[in-house]
Order: sequence, then structure tokens, then C-alpha cells
Amino acid sequence: MYVNETVVYIGEILVAIGVFCDLAASIGMLRFPNFYVRLHAATVGTIGGAFVPLIGIALIALGAEWLGTYRFFLAGASIITAIIIIILAPVGSHVLARATHKARLVKVEPKVVDHLEEDIKKKEGDKNA
Amino acid sequence: MSLEEQVTLFIMIVFPLYLLSFTLYIIRAIRGPTIPDTVLAIDALSFDIAAFLALLSILYRSPILISCAVVLALWVYALDIYVSKYFEARDMGD
Repeated sequence: MYVNETVVYIGEILVAIGVFCDLAASIGMLRFPNFYVRLHAATVGTIGGAFVPLIGIALIALGAEWLGTYRFFLAGASIITAIIIIILAPVGSHVLARATHKARLVKVEPKVVDHLEEDIKKKEGDKNA
Repeated sequence: MSLEEQVTLFIMIVFPLYLLSFTLYIIRAIRGPTIPDTVLAIDALSFDIAAFLALLSILYRSPILISCAVVLALWVYALDIYVSKYFEARDMGD
């Protein structure tokens, strides 16, 4: 009987979680010292701040009776966007991190050990030897 | 309070929080010391704008905005790939 209300409330909770993750990520983007540390904030911002609210919006749209037939377009398209984001966002940030490390654009600041650097040196060592 | 007003009120509450996080991302994009910082900030910002567009399409009760969110998510991925390909190619271009 209260199907629409519960679906909408669940969607709103998800959107609220998403907004909180989004705020935390954007504050993190400002406060973190280095590009590599900012990657954590960016991925929190994309997955927690975009994927979770989109699922919530899909639920809100499904429960929204007053939208009429539009709600199915909204729910479908936001679920597709969510799937696109969950697949592409990690790939995008990973490619960016790899290219930045390879092109040595950012000094690895808070550094304990850089295994990738060692592997590259080892590989170059084998090539020269 | 009917469900419609309740959802509209909820979206009105969520709006300024989204806009606040957008401004913080834009500050990082402008101030970012290196190019990857700017690209990362724009990447995260655009994915959140895609979610924001979906939210807008609920508020304005029209399905037209949502198609733009799908394209935006794809476009940002292309931006990442293109910029990182440029970084790597330039590095090997010696």
C-alpha cells in the first residue's frame, strides 16, 4: 500500500548519502597535499557522490506518481548513467594516475616507497643489460 | 504534506549542498598546481554534474535533461583518456 512512499524515502536516503560523500570529497580535494592523495578524494567524489545519488534518483523517479510516464524515462536513464559511471570513473582516474606517474609530472611527495618506480628501473635495467 | 511537495522540498535542501561542492571542485580546478590536478577536479566535477542533472530533471518534471547527463558521463571519460594519452605520448616522443 505504501510502496511509493517507501521507494521515495529509500531514494532520498541514498541521495543524502551521496551529497554527504560529495561534500567530503570536494573538501578532500582542497585539503589534500598532493595529486596522488587527491585521487582518493576524486574517486570518493565520483563513486559515492555520483553513482549512489543516481541510484537514489532512479528510485525517487520510480516512486514519483505525479511524473506520469516520464518517471520510467528518468529511472532508466539515471540507472544507465550510474552503470556508465561505475564502469568508466575508476578506469579514467586509473589511466590519469598512470600517465601522471609515467610522465613524472607530479613529485611523489609523502613517499615511503615507490614500487612502480623500482619496477620501471628494474625493467629499464634488464633492457640495457 | 503530499509526496510531491516532500520530494520538492528535499531537492531544494540538497541543491545548495551540491552547488557548494561544485564551487569547491572549481576552486581546486582553477588553483590546481599541475595539469593532472585540474583534469582530476574537472573529472570529479562533471560526474557530479551528471548526477545533479538527473536531480534537476526530477524537479522540473521533464525527461529531456537526463539524456544530457548520459552524454556528460561519457564525455568526461573521453577527456581523461585523451589527456593521459597526451601525457604518455609526449613522454615517449623523444
